[in-house]
Amino acid sequence: MLVWSRTGRASTFALVAVLFALVYGLPIGVIALASISGQWNGVMPSQLTFVHYANALRGDSFEQLRISLYTGIIASGVALVSGTWAALALRTRRRLTRRALDAVFFIPSAVPSVSVGLGLLVAFSRPPVLLNGTTLIVLIAHFVLISAFTYGNVSAGLARLPADFEQVAESLGARPFYRLRRVTLPLVTPYLIAAFSLSFALSMGELGATVMVYPPGWVTMPVGIFALSDRGAIFDAAALTMVLAASTLIVLLGLSRIPTKASAH
Amino acid sequence: MADLAIALPRSGEPPSAGGLWIVPPLLALAALFFFPLGLIVRQALAGDSGAVSLSHFTEVLGSGQFHDALHHTIVIAVSSTAGCLVLGFVLSVLITFTPFPGGKLVARLIDTFIALPTFLVALSFTFIYGSAGILNESLMRLLHVELPPVDFLYSQWGVILSEITVYTPFVMRPLLAAFSLIEPAQIEVASSLGARSLRIVGRIILPAALPALVAGGSLCLLLTVNEFGIVLFIGAKDVITLPLLIYDKAIQQFDYTAACVIAAINVALSLCLYSLYRFVVMYFGGRRAGLV
Amino acid sequence: MIPADLLGAGSAISASAVAAAEPAVRSSGIGFEDVSVAYGDLVVLDSLTLTVRPGEIVALIGPSGSGKTTALRAVAGFVRPVRGRITIGTRDVTNVAPHARNIGMVVQNYALFPHMRAEENVAFGLRARGAAADVIRARVPECLRMVGMASYAKRFPRELSGGQQQRVAIARALAIRPQVLLLDEPLSALDAQIRRSMLDELAKLHRDLPSLTVLYVTHDQTEALTLANHIGIMRDGRLIAFGSAQSLYRYPPNRFSAEFLGRANLLPVQALTSTGAGMARVRFGEEALAARNHHGLPDGGDCLLCVRPHDLRLHPAEEAGNRLTGTVRAVQWQGDMQNVELDVAGHVLRLTCAPMHEPPAPGASLTVHFSAAEATFVPEMQPGG
Repeated sequence: MLVWSRTGRASTFALVAVLFALVYGLPIGVIALASISGQWNGVMPSQLTFVHYANALRGDSFEQLRISLYTGIIASGVALVSGTWAALALRTRRRLTRRALDAVFFIPSAVPSVSVGLGLLVAFSRPPVLLNGTTLIVLIAHFVLISAFTYGNVSAGLARLPADFEQVAESLGARPFYRLRRVTLPLVTPYLIAAFSLSFALSMGELGATVMVYPPGWVTMPVGIFALSDRGAIFDAAALTMVLAASTLIVLLGLSRIPTKASAH
Repeated sequence: MADLAIALPRSGEPPSAGGLWIVPPLLALAALFFFPLGLIVRQALAGDSGAVSLSHFTEVLGSGQFHDALHHTIVIAVSSTAGCLVLGFVLSVLITFTPFPGGKLVARLIDTFIALPTFLVALSFTFIYGSAGILNESLMRLLHVELPPVDFLYSQWGVILSEITVYTPFVMRPLLAAFSLIEPAQIEVASSLGARSLRIVGRIILPAALPALVAGGSLCLLLTVNEFGIVLFIGAKDVITLPLLIYDKAIQQFDYTAACVIAAINVALSLCLYSLYRFVVMYFGGRRAGLV
Repeated sequence: MIPADLLGAGSAISASAVAAAEPAVRSSGIGFEDVSVAYGDLVVLDSLTLTVRPGEIVALIGPSGSGKTTALRAVAGFVRPVRGRITIGTRDVTNVAPHARNIGMVVQNYALFPHMRAEENVAFGLRARGAAADVIRARVPECLRMVGMASYAKRFPRELSGGQQQRVAIARALAIRPQVLLLDEPLSALDAQIRRSMLDELAKLHRDLPSLTVLYVTHDQTEALTLANHIGIMRDGRLIAFGSAQSLYRYPPNRFSAEFLGRANLLPVQALTSTGAGMARVRFGEEALAARNHHGLPDGGDCLLCVRPHDLRLHPAEEAGNRLTGTVRAVQWQGDMQNVELDVAGHVLRLTCAPMHEPPAPGASLTVHFSAAEATFVPEMQPGG
């Protein structure tokens, strides 16, 4: 619309393409390249190898992949249940309490993740509740950080749902739980899936709180990548980063393919 | 009229038991987040001794380390936000208003990028802008110099550049949403009246984008103040931000009290920025800010 | 709590047999007794008292904001009155939850559940009430057949047109054998063509289900005049006119009703004098006019003379009919009819007639005639405020 001439459009297209490639394509491309580099002294790597991927999918690193996936799925699942519960419960409240509680549910996403980790350490390092050094504390940390996002996504979806559907269902004789099961939840399923996807992605990449609370036996991939890069094994770190990105995207792709018959438009 | 009748007024009816459904999630949040947060504040005030005093605060606030960290945090956050706003606005305008063939695809790609960990960019920058990185090596060969000419990575600018890359999508999303509300007819009429592209951008698009820009900008500010992974991975010795200082004090030095003091201040700062963000969204209305 | 008819052993019931089976369902009317709805200071419904007799269709019409939708939602139970009582049949349902009121509701945007097929939509109410499987198996196809959608049973809503979706929505509401059917502007979202055919189908449906009580909300007077036995005209939350469609149209009780239901010419007239047999005479400027005094207006007063555009003629139909002369302001041809705008002593008269070979030119003088039996006197002030 803004650019009329053919050449103008072509050059704009080129400009945007270059800008995008530079800003977003380059980092990913470079990491991908690094993950298969044997030696990289000059401008380009001098040797290509897959040994870093072999390392990444073996031993410690593979364990970290497994742990990250478990943590992501469990924390996101619990966060989805909690967020959906809260979103549904807040729908029927009066405007003022709803606004206040809404803000409350979003606060965990507003504070630095490191402070969430610190808080858990300080709170649960003493009896009677001793979670320091357990896997549970990592799961709790992830849950707290991502619960705001599931709540936000689900309540946005519920807000978009026209009231007609539930009212007609009610007029036909459906009691609240039946309505919830048969009408409300199926209609917001796309939002539930989006909420789970977002939470999962955030959990997979979470570093700040995890690095404060993780026990030696429960090391997630981001922590592992940092350890590798700190040690100087930057190619291994790059390979593991690629594994992290790939596994996250694969799960997200799988989730987006879930057929949803609902489209309340 | 129908929208008035949709709400279920409970005129004179006692509150139903439905009000208690909110309690379990609220309780979980209170136990796992607010309670620990309270303990942080308590530790910051009381230290290990148990006596409440502001001595720990004054001690930390007086230290040079804290001043550095605060300074870096604010400078990095503000610069990154400014960069995000500029880059995000330019890219969004180009994608939406020049008929850009892959516009939808690009938007999807941006959403995908948000799914990736933030430190990925920082790690990649080591390879690109590091002293033995692509840029330096190329320049060294091109210009026949011995020492790497470009050395900004291990300074604030490395962090700022990484954060701009990572957080621009958070400005682009509300912008793209807000732009989709601008009727193409407006632009066409403006062109037919004789306005050139830059004038249209300045007079029509920018004012319409302002709410989304302000909302996206305040969100960016919040996120960059809280950012940890990028700063950790860049690992520059003299670039420390508040979150990194908290980590340092707690895990490296086991000085939990100091860590709690810094955390308390960091949380307070974040909550102020978050309130600003909520206020902005409320002021402009969610739709115009591209968020609903 | 399950109505007995849902537990029966089913056999395929044809549409015609539905009428025979009707006595099993008691016919119930709807009653509003001094019902008021308010949101804080905003009064949305003001002391509505209205009765819908069992088996009849009552249309509530009025402009937006008149409270007609609120009244319907009050019957459904989605709006709680601050005062008054609502009854369905003999039951006071003011405090009964919506899902226990045994009503069927059809809304403007159909609200078919997009994740269910047409037949699953129709079966929803029966399933929600725990009906036996064989009852569902029999009744769903029967209801779809009733609305002419039997061959679309397996389709999803997104595969159906607007009119088709609305028919499925009606089938869905009827499947639970409601005592009362509530229709909230059901045809507003449809194209004009489809609207006409749907109107016919709704009329036919009511003939096939004579014991079904229907409350129909619309802003379109054509729908009301076509379907309803009685019409209620609402404005600003109050019911300002109620009566049979015929009597409201012929003898509107106030200015708003006259103008809202059908098009009307309203002339201010003076010095009413009763002439017996329900007729009266008035003065309009120099002319003497006669019309029906259905509302029994007192002698000597001023009021409005209402005559419909299609009752104004260019040639006198009878000897002692009414006569008005004025200047033609505009002539509009609309295909199957012609509209003529006439200026009579500063007031505008509109006349509708069949297209003329030589229509009068603007500025020409024209005399129109109408009989006293076709005009009526309308009180100037609305009764009751």
